[in-house]
Amino acid sequence: MLPRLLKRSFLNQKKAMIIMVVAVAVGTAVAASLLTVATEISSKVAVELRAFGANILVEPRLEGLAGVSGQARYLEESDLKKIKTVFWRHNILGFAPFLDGLVEMRSGENVRPVQAVGTWFEQKLQLPGEESAFVAGIVSVAPWWSIEGAWASHADSVVVGSALATELNLHVGDSVNLEGRAFQVSGLLTTGDREDEQVFMELATLQGLLGGEGRISRVQVSALTTPMDDFAYKNPKTMTRTEYEKWYCTGYVTSIAKQVEEVMTGSRARPVWNVAETEGKVLEKLRLAIYLLSVMALIASAIGVGTTMVTSLLRRVEEVGLMKALGADSMGIITLFLSEAVLIGVFGGTVGLLLSLWISKQVGLLVFGTELNQKALLFPLSMGVSLIIAILGALLPIARALHIKPAVVLKGVE
Amino acid sequence: MYVTFIKISDLEKHYASAMALRGVNLEIAAQEWVSIVGASGSGKSTLLNIVGGLDVPSKGCVRMNGTDLCGLSEDALARFRRQNIGYIFQQSHLVPYLSATENVMLAQYFHSLPDEKEAEEALVRVGLGHRLHHRPSQLSGGEQQRVCIARALINSPKLLLADEPTGNLDRENTRVVLELLKKIHEAEHFTIILVTHDPFVADWASRLVKMEDGRVVSDTRNR
Repeated sequence: MLPRLLKRSFLNQKKAMIIMVVAVAVGTAVAASLLTVATEISSKVAVELRAFGANILVEPRLEGLAGVSGQARYLEESDLKKIKTVFWRHNILGFAPFLDGLVEMRSGENVRPVQAVGTWFEQKLQLPGEESAFVAGIVSVAPWWSIEGAWASHADSVVVGSALATELNLHVGDSVNLEGRAFQVSGLLTTGDREDEQVFMELATLQGLLGGEGRISRVQVSALTTPMDDFAYKNPKTMTRTEYEKWYCTGYVTSIAKQVEEVMTGSRARPVWNVAETEGKVLEKLRLAIYLLSVMALIASAIGVGTTMVTSLLRRVEEVGLMKALGADSMGIITLFLSEAVLIGVFGGTVGLLLSLWISKQVGLLVFGTELNQKALLFPLSMGVSLIIAILGALLPIARALHIKPAVVLKGVE
Repeated sequence: MYVTFIKISDLEKHYASAMALRGVNLEIAAQEWVSIVGASGSGKSTLLNIVGGLDVPSKGCVRMNGTDLCGLSEDALARFRRQNIGYIFQQSHLVPYLSATENVMLAQYFHSLPDEKEAEEALVRVGLGHRLHHRPSQLSGGEQQRVCIARALINSPKLLLADEPTGNLDRENTRVVLELLKKIHEAEHFTIILVTHDPFVADWASRLVKMEDGRVVSDTRNR
């Protein structure tokens, strides 16, 4: 009888039902799309934020007297590939090794010592188990570095910092002499920082010039991370075993740094806090804003449904009074109205799902340039949200229906 | 043998500005047909609503078949109503978007399980076999009241409460409805309390209770 009652009731108040289904559908589409965006925003925005530079710096660990005496320590180049073997290896988006050294530069009549940096500009690494090559080097950790000309693509070319090039009147294609060896300037580098006064060359080239094969001074690592929370700031040394496992298996910048440190012999890896913390705060605020917008969409929609349902109830007061006179108790009335709400939720949710598929696709394309991946989430999310909207909307009408007095609404004329 | 089915004791009902019942005492036997008559505002409908559990008294109590209605919660009263009482109102109060059969099934739904065949038989019994699938708006006033009789009696109640059941009908339809009620009452032996201000309708009862200003002023056996 309930299905028949619901069917007749729906057909009897088509206009109100359509309004409620539309209200649920719109609320569902907006809330579900926003929530889907929120679930993906971490990865999407984190990738965008990675353009701001590496967030982990790996340096040689200075222990004992080494730190005091200023004795140079190096990391092993052969350990670099191991960075892509850590637990959070898929979150490592890029890394670049650097070897620093002073070299004598001769350009025309000018002879002066300059800071030389050996690095990987764009190094393709074939990693075990991976189909495509992983691109490491400066392009992966500092994509905003501006190059006029080209990166040094072979052993006889260098990239000169723009400030140094101006000072020495060097241009792309010019020749310079470093440590008695001739190099061609392939590009001029502008970063707005100390790099503008340095000379960059292939890592192996500088290792050869300095006589330190396989040595590197530091590594910059760019990793996708989970925003830092209170737990992430705990000292791992004071954690219980369970806490430590949770920390280690969460993609905090600190735990990823720890894992990198473990695979790089004699290293100390630390987060670049200004980058890591900014990322975390931006993501957190963005997500909070999206959640608030979702809740607002949900409430607005529920109010729409509730208002329409109350209006509809006002036309059905006599019907509810009659049902009570026939013996409907609170549960009977709640069942009837809740069933109507659930049906409205299911219809609205279905329409809302189709709408949210379109909206989330558009948001993905418009904001991130790619579609969002969380389509599987949309169905349960849409249905869940639509049911919440419809049930929230039904609460007030149900409360009012329960207070209807049959003796009053069915009163005859004496 | 006289068996008290309903016992009303010292019943009072106060509203903010008026007193609808002022100490009503009444006993009604099982299977009796009682007409409660009185002018408008005499308290007869209020009394009917309290006996039927649709309203609660300010003071006093109603016992029906051993159950003290005044001690029951709203939900318990609803459950008591569906098990024991059938209603016929002055306005038919049929659900407009349901057919005649579905309106009868609605009472079955709240009582136990709807049975379409049984609902149709009940309508055939009140002479509406040809109107089973008609909506209330497609039925005459007399036919609507007959659907209400079928709905009120579908769950075999022990008590039928009728509040001006023919108030909106002409004399001919009034007679049809009352004859139908009488026929079913004789066959099924339930108790009827019928509120009316029409002497013609009141005369069909075996007992006449007259109310004035919230009190019972006379209680007579009908000849």
